[in-house]
Amino acid sequence: MTEFFQTLVSGLSLGSIYALIALGYTMVYGIAKMLNFAHGDIIMVGAYAVITTVMISEAIPGIVAVVISVIVCVVLGVTIEFFAYRPLRKAPSLTVLITAIGVSYLLQNLALLIFGSEQKSFKLDFFDMIKPIYIGKVYINGITFLTLVVTVIIMIALTLFINKTRLGKAMRAVSEDKEAAELMGINVNRTITLTFAIGSALAAVASIFYGGAYTYIRPTTGSMPGIKAFTAAVFGGIGSIPGAMLGGILLGVIEKFAENAISQWSNAIVFVVLVIVLVVKPTGLLGKKINEKV
Amino acid sequence: MRMLAVNNINVYYGKIHAIKDVSFEVKSGEIVALIGANGAGKSTILKTISGLLRSKTGSISFNNELITHTEAHKLIAKGMAHVPEGRRIFLQMTVMENLDMGAYIRKDNYKKDIESVFQRFPRLQERKNQIAGTLSGGEQQMLAMGRALMGKPSLLMLDEPSMGLAPILVDQIFGIIKELHESGTTILLVEQNAEKALAIADRAYVLESGKVAVSGTGKELAASDKIKKAYLGG
Ligand SMILES: Nc1ncnc2c1ncn2[C@@H]1O[C@H](COP(=O)(O)OP(=O)(O)OP(=O)(O)O)[C@@H](O)[C@H]1O
Ligand SMILES: [Mg+2]
Repeated sequence: MTEFFQTLVSGLSLGSIYALIALGYTMVYGIAKMLNFAHGDIIMVGAYAVITTVMISEAIPGIVAVVISVIVCVVLGVTIEFFAYRPLRKAPSLTVLITAIGVSYLLQNLALLIFGSEQKSFKLDFFDMIKPIYIGKVYINGITFLTLVVTVIIMIALTLFINKTRLGKAMRAVSEDKEAAELMGINVNRTITLTFAIGSALAAVASIFYGGAYTYIRPTTGSMPGIKAFTAAVFGGIGSIPGAMLGGILLGVIEKFAENAISQWSNAIVFVVLVIVLVVKPTGLLGKKINEKV
Repeated sequence: MRMLAVNNINVYYGKIHAIKDVSFEVKSGEIVALIGANGAGKSTILKTISGLLRSKTGSISFNNELITHTEAHKLIAKGMAHVPEGRRIFLQMTVMENLDMGAYIRKDNYKKDIESVFQRFPRLQERKNQIAGTLSGGEQQMLAMGRALMGKPSLLMLDEPSMGLAPILVDQIFGIIKELHESGTTILLVEQNAEKALAIADRAYVLESGKVAVSGTGKELAASDKIKKAYLGG
């Protein structure tokens, strides 16, 4: 039983990371109707931003490095949207997809050029400050605990933002109908920028937890969590915010249990589950199909 | 006074030349109807006025201000509202949230205006917390009009408000258009239902394949044999 809960905790923690990244995919998809395949690489950039900051001076507190990483990712995400995606707003989706893959390679290669191919250790001072806790015999280390708490807070805040605030409602309006939103006086371009900014900030936060859990990063670090989180977003229903949260968490839990059972097959099991869900419910767990009345 | 002046516009969809040298105007306090067959270009004209499409030539001015290149989202603050074809309400939002979106640009307290929308459309009040996608077609049209009124427009552009509605509802919608007009709103009305549109319009323009074919007062056009044959089924 202890082992079950131990696996559950590490699954929830991994799933939280996937969920944070999946939110970026799903929000951008919901609003700009595009798959931003460079989103995973934002995580990598966020992680390098952290270790670069800490490398400059040991005296810089970890939390400052986190803030810098968030700023770097937001600026990067918004810049990518402005230069790479905005000119393609009316282009066929395949063109946009190929551009996104191009941006992803560009980021990876830039990182390779600047930081080299060898892995770098990822550590922040506050990881050790939080004491591990025991619930019964279940052990929860500092970074896992932090991941869970911060993710829950972010999810609640994001849900309130989307549902209750004026800007959040504007985002929902844009995701439903850009022209109608424009007619309401909503600046659609600015709303899309905001979405990229939020998604990138969440990716930066995810990079801290991912780096904390795996302790090493390299230029391709963003690929695997990126693909998993994308899977999670599709799993939960792409475009749906609660779907991304649920999909991410379930995916993390399934992956950890699968790893426990037959370790080398865990990724395969994850994707088999995805395929089954999509066959049974093509819109994903919480995805909606809208019936339009004419 | 001239409220809206459309001057020699030409609009294209790629290579399709949808609007050809169209000019017309709407004076303050008028109801002006644009009528014409399917594909004549009525919706394209409205979208061009509200900045969703661009004309290759000419100019559009609103209250003596050039808006030819103004971004669509800036027009509502200038007093223009466009209820698009097919209503285009936010189907996943509640009735109330749709009205909130109509008041998106407003910084003042607009509670009173919500009340007056509910007075005009009591059905909406009963359903204020219902998801808009579950409303009937007529209710959706009411919501689309109510949402537009939240911006307190001086010019209300309506694209086929009677589309797909039962005759009683059509009468009701036309009644409301009249009321809005009487309370001081200038109206540009696009309609397939030429008979009803001409009956309430001060003036009308008849579009044929992207061009203004005929124009005149509502009465004149309703009496013209040519118009009767082509649009009034007689
Ligand atoms: N998005 C588009 N792409 C290409 N052509 C279009 C597009 N929208 C409209 N058209 C064409 O432009 C012309 C005018 O269309 P428009 O929708 O303005 O007509 P309408 O008078 O509003 O017709 P209806 O009464 O059916 O609504 C038509 O020939 C139509 O096929
Ligand atoms: Mg039309």
